[in-house]
Amino acid sequence: MVQYNFKKITVVPAGKDFIDIILSRTQRQTPTVVHKGYAISRLRQFYMRKVKYTQQNFHEKLSTIIDEFPRLDDIHPFYGDLLHVLYNKDHYKLALGQINTARNLIGKISKDYVKLLKYGDSLYRCKTLKVAALGRMCTVIKRVSPSLAYLEQVRQHMARLPSIDPNTRTILICGYPNVGKSSFINKITRADVDVQPYAFTTKSLFVGHTDYKYLRYQVIDTPGILDRPFEDRNIIEMCSITALAHLRAAILFFLDISGSCGYSIAQQAALFHSIKSLFMNKPLIIICNKTDLQPFENLSEEDMKLVMEMKAEAMKTVIGQGGEAIDEEGVLLKMSALIEDGVIAVKNAACERLLNQRVELKMKSKKINDCLNRFHVAMPKPRDDKERPAFIPEAVLEARAKEAAEKEKRKLEKDLEDENGGAGVYSASLKKHYILANEEWKEDIMPEILDGHNVYDFVDPDILQRLEELEQEEGLRQEEEADDVDMDGEELTPEEKEALAEIRRKKSFLIQQHRIKKSTAESRPTVPRKFDKDKKFTTERMGRQLSALGLDPSLAIERARGRSLSRKGRKRERSLARGGSDGDDAMDMDVDQPSSKKLRMRSRSRSRSRSRPPGEVVPGQGFKDSAQKVKAIKLVRKSQKVRNKDARRGDADRTIPTLKPKHLFSGKRSLGKTSRR
Amino acid sequence: PQGDYIELHRKRHGYRLDHHERKRKRDAREVHKRSAMAQKALGIKGKMFAKKRYAEKALMKKTLAMHEESSTRRKVEDEAHEGAVPAYLLDREATTRAKVLSNTVKQKRKEKAGKWDVPLPRVRPVAEDEMFKVLRSGKRKTKQWKRMVTKVTFVGPSFTRKPPKYERFIRPSGLRFTKAHVTHPELKCTFNLEIIGVKKNPNGPTYTSLGVITKGTIIEVNVSELGLVTPAGKVVWGKYAQVTNNPENDGCINAVLLV
Repeated sequence: MVQYNFKKITVVPAGKDFIDIILSRTQRQTPTVVHKGYAISRLRQFYMRKVKYTQQNFHEKLSTIIDEFPRLDDIHPFYGDLLHVLYNKDHYKLALGQINTARNLIGKISKDYVKLLKYGDSLYRCKTLKVAALGRMCTVIKRVSPSLAYLEQVRQHMARLPSIDPNTRTILICGYPNVGKSSFINKITRADVDVQPYAFTTKSLFVGHTDYKYLRYQVIDTPGILDRPFEDRNIIEMCSITALAHLRAAILFFLDISGSCGYSIAQQAALFHSIKSLFMNKPLIIICNKTDLQPFENLSEEDMKLVMEMKAEAMKTVIGQGGEAIDEEGVLLKMSALIEDGVIAVKNAACERLLNQRVELKMKSKKINDCLNRFHVAMPKPRDDKERPAFIPEAVLEARAKEAAEKEKRKLEKDLEDENGGAGVYSASLKKHYILANEEWKEDIMPEILDGHNVYDFVDPDILQRLEELEQEEGLRQEEEADDVDMDGEELTPEEKEALAEIRRKKSFLIQQHRIKKSTAESRPTVPRKFDKDKKFTTERMGRQLSALGLDPSLAIERARGRSLSRKGRKRERSLARGGSDGDDAMDMDVDQPSSKKLRMRSRSRSRSRSRPPGEVVPGQGFKDSAQKVKAIKLVRKSQKVRNKDARRGDADRTIPTLKPKHLFSGKRSLGKTSRR
Repeated sequence: PQGDYIELHRKRHGYRLDHHERKRKRDAREVHKRSAMAQKALGIKGKMFAKKRYAEKALMKKTLAMHEESSTRRKVEDEAHEGAVPAYLLDREATTRAKVLSNTVKQKRKEKAGKWDVPLPRVRPVAEDEMFKVLRSGKRKTKQWKRMVTKVTFVGPSFTRKPPKYERFIRPSGLRFTKAHVTHPELKCTFNLEIIGVKKNPNGPTYTSLGVITKGTIIEVNVSELGLVTPAGKVVWGKYAQVTNNPENDGCINAVLLV
């Protein structure tokens, strides 16, 4: 059984895209490199392969299109007709035919050009032949592109058609527009059809499914039909007519007895009579809808007569089926979809009629005999006349009776709810069955938060017991506390405080001293006085030794002291010492005498002493003569250039002839980024 | 979902709250995405995309220019009547006569040279080694008197080959064509017409007799389907056309009708 599901058709590409796809595939999947120097057979093969490959791809794709679209003559006539109504059979066939011719043409082109390629004697000739071949194939497709576009549209629409199985149990709903057909189908199935007050809301067939007696029924909602001659009908109406004509279904003809659809009963009756030929051999039921607006009994005489006429027609179909004479109720039913009065009855009646008819037909057909032959209900042959009824023990019977009684007696919460207005209106009192010490406490509201605490944290069934235990514990603890003496945080006497402060002060003093004395890089001089830590070598000592040798030490001592670094700042003193009495008119300048240590640290080397002219270089410090030292000094000066702080351009500032050379800024990379070049 | 379920859902529930915002932003981002792709795409894809984009750019520039046309000012051109002559030249006639004279001289020269008034007056000469391929024959493949034509040929319908032993020029059947795509120069439409015969091949009389068709060959085609009639009332069924392409490279014969 073919499932009439047109969703599996592959997408039909547009003409241009089709060409692009195939050509790019050829470019990717066939070898791309060929040189002039190759053997001629190799060149020919290269190009022939491309032509053949392209043709094969076109053939494949076009074949899938032709095969997947259904052939209107091969499918069920219902679908054939439906597709004809929707898409125009001729146009459809023409489009597919064009695709077919395109496929054949491409095959021919490929054959011809492959033949010609065999005579190609140069790369250029083979190449141009290949270009011509592919170009012609693409032109063929370009010519066919309107058909491709049309087929794509058809495919999209076909995929959204409802999947109706033409052979299963079906109920068809028909009538004038706005009569209430879609509302009915919404009520009995899960199909969510749009219901609006304007006519022709439903523009195509809709399908819903419903169950009856463990069987699934298809319910088909159709667009409304107007009473017009057949040729004037538009596409939407033709859909319903097609469904009516081809599907073997139970037909529910809807009648709006209130006239709120805008059409009178007379018009509807006229429509009925004009399409009654389509109701041949199908169980027909007339449904009078919208009884909430207009009760059936209040219909006028003429209207009643018309309805009765229709009913008579419907009865004819019943009897015509050769079935039992069904009661009148099975043919004319009243319902209201809005207030849901009689909807289920209608559905049941329709399903029943349909089922009976189908069963009858099946019984009549030849196939059933095969099945019937296999059934055999075996009845045991009676041995004698003794009656042997079924035996049920007494106890079981009693139990059953009691159960039934109980069920009836006990009132369920559900019944209570129903009585009081239903689910949304009545809320059951959940506190009804609480077991409390005092009955009055049932309706009390329990607080949840009290004094900022969660009440439930404190609720405990054994709470009294726990309280006792706690108190016991506390008693024990208090006894223990009395024994301990707390050291921390005790009060100090003022003397003790003083002593503490004194201690602290001393401590900090010691720390400071240590910090001063500590020899870190900041505090100690870079050149240690390693030659004379103990200050043993003084001028006095020198004097003593010299005098011990028998020499006069005073001049030596003076000279040594004069050269001492720590006396640098004592010019006045020296002159005074030398001059002796001449310095009486000296302007006693109060010169600040820096400490000897400081003077020593600040002093310059002998070579740079102030007594020398500025340009003179004194040999020393490892250089054998002045020339060498001069050279060394020059080298030093050259090796480190002084910074040019004038902010002017120098040699180091290179020029850029082009700020954006093309070769550095252009080009794409197939792999990687271009964050640097 | 059945039928127009998308529209139905839209009708019932409307759009998402941010739908329009998202759509607007998405469309705005498309521009950037396209440009990113244009910069990143490599190889043949990149070239094709660049070509498409260039076409769009040219079209956009044209429309912009068109829009700006109305707002720009242009110089008004006084159309000078053809043949109008300034006042001081009014009495001269000598020049026009001289032109006529030189034209006749030119025509005479053309006739002498054999150049006719055809769409392709001159074509590239085709050498013999390009036209023929030497086939070796004989028991030891030393004889080289056979030639195979490498260009497209036309043989008439009543053509039968000479016995292979005596056949000097071989015209392979794969290269034989019977139809040509002929364009009418005034109507500008092309018809697929049958060839009746080869009238003249500019490369030499040998080729004409062989029926070789190269670029510039004059062929005679059957134009009965065009329905041309002579002033006398007779139906024209054959006309000359000149071949405008290299048939061996394109696999088809394109010609222009000589009216």
